[in-house]
This record gives sequence, structure tokens and C-alpha cells, in this order.
Amino acid sequence: MDAEKTSPHGGLPGAALTGSAMDALLGDPAEETNPVGRTAVLAADERREMLAEGEKLLDAVVLNAEFVPAGLGGRFTSVPRLAEVLRAVWRRDPSLGAGYGFSSFLAAVNVWCAGDAAQRRHTADVLLGGDRVAVAFHELAHGNDFAQAEFQARAQGGGWQLTGRKETIANLCRARALVLFARTGAAVGSRSHSEFLLDKAELPAAGWCDLPRYHTSGMRGLQLGGMEFTDCPIPGTALIGAPGQAVEIALRAFQITRSMFPAVCVGSLDTALRITLDCALERRLYGGTVADIPFVRSTVARAFADLLAIDALASVGVRALHLAPESTAVYASASKFLGPRMMLDAFEDLRAVLGAQGYLRQGPHALFQKLFRDAAPITFTHASRGACLSTILPQLPRLARRSWLSGPAGPADLFDLDAPVPPLDFQRLAVGMPTTDGVIGALAEMAENVRAPGREDPLSRLVARFGAELGELRSRCAELSPSDLTMDAPAAAYELAERYTVVLAAACALAVWRAGGERHPGRPDAGLLGVLDRLCGRLPGAGVLTATERASVEAQLFDLAVARFTDRALFDLTARPIPG
Amino acid sequence: MTTRLDRPAPEAAGAAGVPTPEALDAVLTGPDGSGALGAEADSAERFPAELHARLADFGLSAHYVPPEHGGSLDDHERLLRLWHVVARHDVSAVVAHGKTYLGAAPVWIAGDADQTTSMAAAVLSGRAVAWGLSEPDHGADLRHGSVTAAREGDGYRVDGVKWPINNATRGDFMTLLARTGPAGSPRGHSLFLVDKAALAPGSARPRPKVATHGVRGADISGLEFAGARLPETARIGAEGTGIETVLLALQLTRTMCAALSSGAGEHALRITARFAATRLVQRRPLSARPRPAAILARCAALLAGVEAASLVAARSAHALTGEMSVTSAIVKPLAPAVTDAVISDLAELLGVRSYLVDHHEHGAFQKLSRDHQVVAVFDGSTPVNRAALAQQFPRLVRGRAGAVADTSGLAEAVALGTGPRPLDHSALTLVSRRGCTVVQALPRPVGDDGPPGLAEHVLALHDLIDQVTGLMAEIPPAALPAMPAYELAAAYELCYAGAACVHLWTACAEQHADEPLWQDGLWVRAALRALTHRMTRILRIAPPVPAPGDDELDAALTNRVAEAALHGAPVTPFGIGEAHGR
Repeated sequence: MDAEKTSPHGGLPGAALTGSAMDALLGDPAEETNPVGRTAVLAADERREMLAEGEKLLDAVVLNAEFVPAGLGGRFTSVPRLAEVLRAVWRRDPSLGAGYGFSSFLAAVNVWCAGDAAQRRHTADVLLGGDRVAVAFHELAHGNDFAQAEFQARAQGGGWQLTGRKETIANLCRARALVLFARTGAAVGSRSHSEFLLDKAELPAAGWCDLPRYHTSGMRGLQLGGMEFTDCPIPGTALIGAPGQAVEIALRAFQITRSMFPAVCVGSLDTALRITLDCALERRLYGGTVADIPFVRSTVARAFADLLAIDALASVGVRALHLAPESTAVYASASKFLGPRMMLDAFEDLRAVLGAQGYLRQGPHALFQKLFRDAAPITFTHASRGACLSTILPQLPRLARRSWLSGPAGPADLFDLDAPVPPLDFQRLAVGMPTTDGVIGALAEMAENVRAPGREDPLSRLVARFGAELGELRSRCAELSPSDLTMDAPAAAYELAERYTVVLAAACALAVWRAGGERHPGRPDAGLLGVLDRLCGRLPGAGVLTATERASVEAQLFDLAVARFTDRALFDLTARPIPG
Repeated sequence: MTTRLDRPAPEAAGAAGVPTPEALDAVLTGPDGSGALGAEADSAERFPAELHARLADFGLSAHYVPPEHGGSLDDHERLLRLWHVVARHDVSAVVAHGKTYLGAAPVWIAGDADQTTSMAAAVLSGRAVAWGLSEPDHGADLRHGSVTAAREGDGYRVDGVKWPINNATRGDFMTLLARTGPAGSPRGHSLFLVDKAALAPGSARPRPKVATHGVRGADISGLEFAGARLPETARIGAEGTGIETVLLALQLTRTMCAALSSGAGEHALRITARFAATRLVQRRPLSARPRPAAILARCAALLAGVEAASLVAARSAHALTGEMSVTSAIVKPLAPAVTDAVISDLAELLGVRSYLVDHHEHGAFQKLSRDHQVVAVFDGSTPVNRAALAQQFPRLVRGRAGAVADTSGLAEAVALGTGPRPLDHSALTLVSRRGCTVVQALPRPVGDDGPPGLAEHVLALHDLIDQVTGLMAEIPPAALPAMPAYELAAAYELCYAGAACVHLWTACAEQHADEPLWQDGLWVRAALRALTHRMTRILRIAPPVPAPGDDELDAALTNRVAEAALHGAPVTPFGIGEAHGR
């Protein structure tokens, strides 16, 4: 019998989930009696508890099965589809999304990448049985710099002894299993740490204790815990992969998780925008509605464009895991770097529209402040922005020399959000050194096409601008010296990496819109122009659109946003209908 | 036995017998300090009573009453510094206590002798005052307020709800804006001094406390008037002058709110700098690495800019009184916009410690972040003030073109630490005839004097001011302007901050020559660079070329700020250190 495929769980309820299915399950958020509606979400936040009815609902559809590869008896086949399902949960309640099981997925990915057959089977069984896995990398002393982690595993007999603390770990208390990161060697460098898969029930009680729960300003229902280990013995079979392989495994796993993170959390921006429009269309000031105020219209339009920009970059990012895995070492960190910052800035802009209404924990728009608090850590949780840039920067000189403006565009399916994806090959997520950049290749192609004279329309000018920026980045990155690529790289070098993420996002947007072809026949799309204008504003230097052109784009975007709101459709690239 | 007399008395008075910010800082520090107290009150959503009592014992209320009415408010710079110190400890505490200054402000402007006497007596004896402006359906849209004060007999009958209002329940008094004339008319409202104790029982009922995102313990509640009777003598100023008086009072109160931002920002900077200086990443502190250093330096530089702007603006209340409509419309949005951005950038560096409630300095960072987020929203939100500034664009354009300036007023506005002339309330005007002296009188650098790079930065600032005012000239007049007007207002705010930095550098460099942040003009060059960069982002133009010495600014400023944060020394050019013990 194939140990991998045998599962005690037999047939699971239902087919693989979709975003629509999850939306339908969660129902109308405004419905007062909905046990997972807005009122219940807020009440759970006030009590610093997980939304219990939400967890029951996700248990009932065995959401965990979405985290387990189909080959192990689960339903995971596609990162884009999983991201779409989880985004729907984030739209309703980011705490539920993060607290129910996202951390289980973050942990499990390490096992799918590098675990042996028994470890993969065990992890699958834990998840399919409805239990949780915690990812115990973090200790407060060293945070994201896990290569400096002090937590130790000392070889002892045929196994190991664990000593140290793990802190601020999601679901640590509730988890049945842990994926744990520990120092196993004394040498400086990245081969001194190893990953272990532990079953809490199998740890001797004398060897560890729980630390008190860590409370946070937002994500208040999330159970952040800690454990303190003292010479706690674990079997040799707990080791994942080879000794010293932890950093390599983690960096592979991070390509999946850093890509997913913005694709998922942008859901809460959708809800924030919806709340803002709801308020603006109904509240009356200065003789009209708030939505009549020009400042409000522009702000809503810009936040909408920001959401689309984040979605374009994130959607291509998760598709790249399947269709361009050789590049995801860079794309994942680019998406995690740029998306969350744009999202927090958009939240701040919307806050200015809501005014006092966005500051109240009661009233019709109370959900806004909870989403705002829940969003606060997205720029530093899971991977700091500095860590993301440190991942991207060393790759840029090679990409500049070997791919930008010379390499081809990625496969068409990379940018076609409706196209199916081939199975994810965890082994192809090499922690290598990418030599191709197909997303940039798509931009280069389009920039070449607009060089014909007479292309003075706004879209052509924007494409030309990003093309020119790419050209400059290529020269500057090709000149970077090795000392410009380390953790001590000068701020100017990091700035190049920041600019790259913006150009990448623009390339994603252009390519996605081009692939979406028939949806926007002929005339340029205000959404694309808006996205490119917002991204252009994140590059140093002059803008492209004139004030008149910008006003026109924003007016169209505002009307489109209102239409989406009125029609109960999502603001993201899918424009899918939602309940309510 | 330990008695009160055994405790060492805090140095409550400076050399001239005047309460100092240092003394107030000491009162709020100590083993039983603001950190734990503030955190506990926030968690429990309780009014910060202990801290509030310390502020009362210190005599902070005396600084809300002008000297002609028996108080100590003869210097708005002093009040700003005192509030900054409180905000540096606990924003909730200054919001809770400081509301009385806001509530009383209209009375000093338009109250008659009896009204100022009774208000002074109330405030000096520690009573709280609320300012009844907001209503559930009308935030800053004062003209559409629906609380009515209808003539009845020889007085008025008040009906309607004021909500959400800080101090509505705890306050013994409320300065109430109510409609006495036709709806929507600019002269349809009047201001009243309401003594809640004098109202018939049941005619003014409290509305419950509102649950808020930050300042959770503050008394933000409401008052529902149902046939409350006010005598004629309760009316402040002539009938129909209510909105005008409110707008004049807002010129002072909005300016003073900058202290909440500068204090919260400094607190965030200290927490993060301490962390960055001690947090080892691959054996070196975070603050020693270029990117974190650049972020810390930018934040410190921007806070120096906010500090400079707020100090000059506070003194302008006395020295450039006729320009306060512009000054307040600039500083009220500038300070929280920049500070919210700084706090967000610092949170990225601080990481999870910025988010924990019970760890790392009592979870101070997440509390100050939430508390501070109210500043952009209240007392005239950011969009409201920017739209107001836009109404005065033509004056700002003309003022720049004509280099209009009140030079003696400016000299007094930048003479920090000296007693300013008395504030002449009658000189407050709804529009600033002269535009904005601080920006308009920015000198051009002469020769090679000054630290390397400073002249280049000042020239770049001039260039930006010209661009901004040039664009302002093209904005068509509109009661509710389009977005470009708001962007230009935001850019002009940064011009003001930059100009304030230059003026203060010129006026004060000599007396601070030995201080680390002042050497080689470190703070002013860094501030100008940070402010101009922020401006070029808003305007969508290329940043100025780096000035000589710019590449050394980040490391130098970060090192000094980190060092200062570790030892409780000042982290801004005009700031004070921290009393020991947190």
C-alpha cells in the first residue's frame, strides 16, 4: 500500500472549495441574525475570542483539506484557488482567516516541501482530522532573523534535546503538531539550523510548558502563544529533511507563503472600501451626500485602484508558483513587500473619508476600525519588508544583465487569471538564482510596442514611463557590486529593489489586462490607467497623466466603484457577485 | 511612617516660579509611572483618572486661562510644551484633560465679563468643560447643525443632541453651538455657555459613552437637550455670531493639537530607537544597518519638522495673530499626517512589539498609535482643514509673489523661550490678509555661510514653494475643491514646516551649538531633506538632487537619536530629556 496515499479519512464532504462557495457559506454580512455576520465578528473581537461560529463553519467544510495536497487525501491543487478561498474568509474576518488555519498552512508547507513520507502522512492526518499545526519559528529575541535564533536542539542519543522559548506563535496552544525551527550547529551561517515536526502529545510533560497568551491590539481573537522547552527530548524521526537544512526549506516554503499573504489579506481592503462607500452614499453633509464631495470621490477611486494593483501583483505571484517557479524566489518577496504597504496606505486614505465614523467601535461602520487594527501588522508579520528586500536585491544584477529587456515574456497563462494551472511542484521551488524574469519580459514587450511614433495616448505614455524606468533600473542594477547586495547594502541599493517591485506590479497589471482582452474591447480601461497612475506615484520623479486625465480616470473609477457596490460585486479583478 | 512630606517634592517650579515641562515630566514618570497606569486604563476602557489627577495637582488647568482672567496662559509655546510632555507619556491623558482648554477657548474670545469670570473660576478650580459642536449627522458641517436654541420668554429653549463630544458627561460646562436663525445660514447659529448644574433636571440627559478605537478611556459621550432653558446671559456674543466665534477659537485650538502629535511621535521614536540600538541582527544593532538607519533618520527628521512647525505656530498666536486662520489650517493637518506616517514606518521596524498589548514598555506603542489616530479626525479633520486652506490660496499666492511679511511678528514667533506679547483676541480674523509670513519671509541663503549643504536645501525649498504657489494660482475657487487642491495644501504644509525649520535654525543655532543634533546643522539639513522628499512625492515631481553631505545624514542622525533614546536625552532639536525611570 502506498503510505502516502492511504488516509483514514476516506471521502471528504464536497468538491474543492471556491471563493464563491466560501462567500455563499459565510452569507450576508449585514444580516443581523447571521452567526458569522458583521455583528458577530465585532462581538468576538470585543471579547478577544475567535469567531466560534466561523470556526464551526470552516470545520464543517473541512477547510483544512484545502491545505493538504490531493495526493495525500486533501484538496490542495492550486495556490490561486486556495488564495481565493482564504481571501473570502479575510473579507469577512481577518482574525478568523489567520486564526483558523492559515498558520497550519504556513507550517504544513514546510513538510510538503521537505518532509519524508511518514511526516507528510502524519501532517495530512492531523489536518484532515481537524487539528492544527503551529509554525514555531519565532522567538522575540530574534524575530524574523531566524538564522540567529537561539532556540537549540542538541543531538542526544538518536534524537535531540530542545531548549529555549518560542514566542508569539499563532495557535501554539491549540495546535496538535508543531513545525519547529532550531539551531543545531554552532557555526555562523545558514546551515546551522534544522526543522522538526513534533506532536505535542508525545512531548514529555516535564520538558516544556506553555507561556501565557500574548494579547495584541488587533487580530484580538488570534491565540498567540508561547512554549518554553528545557532539555526536552524528541525522537530522531522528528527531523525534517537533513540536519542544517532549515533555512533552505524555509526559503522554499516562504515562496508559497509570501506570495499567498497579500493575495489573501487584500480581502479586508475590499470590505473597508465597501464600508466607506456605504457611509459616503448615505451620510449627508454640506447640502449633499458625502459621496458628492470631490475629495471623497478621488479618494475612493484611488483606493479602488490600489486594490486592483495589489490584486494584479498578488494574482500573478500565486500563479507564478505553478507557471514560473524559477522566478518565485523574487516575485513572492516583491508581492509581500509592496502589497501590504499599499494596502495600509489605502486604509489610511479611506480613514480620512470616514472621519469619526472610522474611529467608533459601535454604529453602522464599526467594522472599519477592526479591519484597520487587524491590518496593522501586515507589513511586518511573517516577513519584514527589510527581509523581503534582502531576498530580492541580490538577484537583481543577474536579472538585469541576463533577462531585463532581452528575455521573453512569461507564458500567456501566467497572466490569464481564469486559466487553470498545472499541479504545483514543490521541488521546483528551488532556492536558486533566477536567471529569467518573465513578468518583466511582458513589460519589455509592451514598452517596445509603444515606441512607434504617434502613441501619445495616456496608456502608451504610462507604458513608456515604466519601460524607461526598467531601462534605468537595468543600468543601475547591472552596476551593483557585491557589497551592494549584502544586509549592509546602502539605502540607495535597497531603493532600486523597491523600485523594481513597483515596476513588477505595473508589468503584472499590464499583462493581466492584456490577457483579459475581450473584457475591455477597444478603449483603454480606467481601471488599468488608475492602477498604473497609482504605481507611477510610487516611483520617484514626474507623473505621466495630466491633472485633467487623472480627474477623468478617477471619475470613471469612482462610478465603477459605486456600480460594484450597488451591484454587490467584489472590487477585485474578479468582480464576482457576493451575497447581501 | 511615610507621609506626603517625606516624599521628595517634584521640582514644580523653575527659576521664575513657573511650572516647567521637566517638572511635569517628572510628575508623570516614576515607578508608578504613566506606562503601566495608561495601559491599564486603556485595557479596561477606564477614564485615566490617576494621570488626570496628577495633571490637576500640577496645576495644568491654570494654563488654559488667560492672565487677564487670573490664569497662566500668557504663552502658547509654554502650553504646547506642557501638552507635548503629557502626550509623550499618554495621549489619552492629554485628550481627557486638554479638552477643557478647547471648551473654554471661545469664552476668552467672545465672552462678556461675567462669562469670563465664571469660566475662569470653573477652570481654575479644576472643573471640566466640553465643546458642543458635533452632532450625529453633522461633523464639521457646522452650518447644518440641528440643535436649536429657540427664543422663549427672556431666554432660550434648547433641543437636540450633541454627540460625539469629549467631556460631555464629565464636563460641568459646555460651550454649545446651537441654531438660533434660519437653517444653512452663516449667521444662523449662536454660542452658549451652559452650566449643567443650572439646568432643570431631565432637560439635558447624558448619552452613553461611545466605544472608540483609541483614547478608549476618554469620556466621549453626548448630551441630549430636551427643552433645556438658558437665560439670555448664557449667550456668548451677539446672536448669529456663533460660527464666527467658533472658527476664531478653532484657530487656537487646532494649532495646539500639534502637541498631541509631536508628543506621540517622540514617544514612538524613543521606543523604536531604543529597540533598534539594542536589537542585534547578525551581531550588529539594527540601527547600524543602512536601511533601518535611513528609516529611523527619516522619522526623526520629520518629527523635527513637526516640532519646528508647531513651536512657530504656537508663538504665532501671539505674534502673527492675524494669520492664525492660515497657520491653524496648516498645522492641524500637518502634524498628525506626518506623525501617523512616522508611527507606521516605525512600527515596521519595531515589528511584533509594536502590536503587543502587555509586553515591551507596557504595550505603549500600540496604544499611542491608536490614541494618536484620533488627532487627524477630531477638531477639524485633515480634509476639512485642507479645504479651508484652499479657500485662501489666492492670498498665499499673492503673499509669496509680493514677499509680504510681518517681520517683527516673525522675529517674535521664532524667539523661542522668550515671553511673547499678550494675545490680542480681537486681532484674530477669519481670513489672513497677509497670507503666511513664515513661508513668505523665508530668506534666500547668502554666500557660503552655514553648514555644508544647508544653502542647497534652502534653495530647493524656495524652488518648491514657487512651484506650489504657481500651481495654487491655477486652482479655481470652490467651496468643496477637487483633489489637487488638497494635495497642494498638503504640500504647502510641508513648505511651512521647512520654512519654520530654517527660521528656527537661524534664530537659535548659536545657543544650541554644543548639542549633538545641532552640530553641522544635522537636524535642519535632515529635516529639509525629509520634508522636501515628502513634498515631491505628493506633487509627483523629481526630488531635488542630493546636497553636499546628504549621504552622511542618515548614519549621523540615527546614531545620535539612538544614543539619546538610550540615555533619556532629547531626540529632537528643541525637545527635553526624559526623567529617569519608566
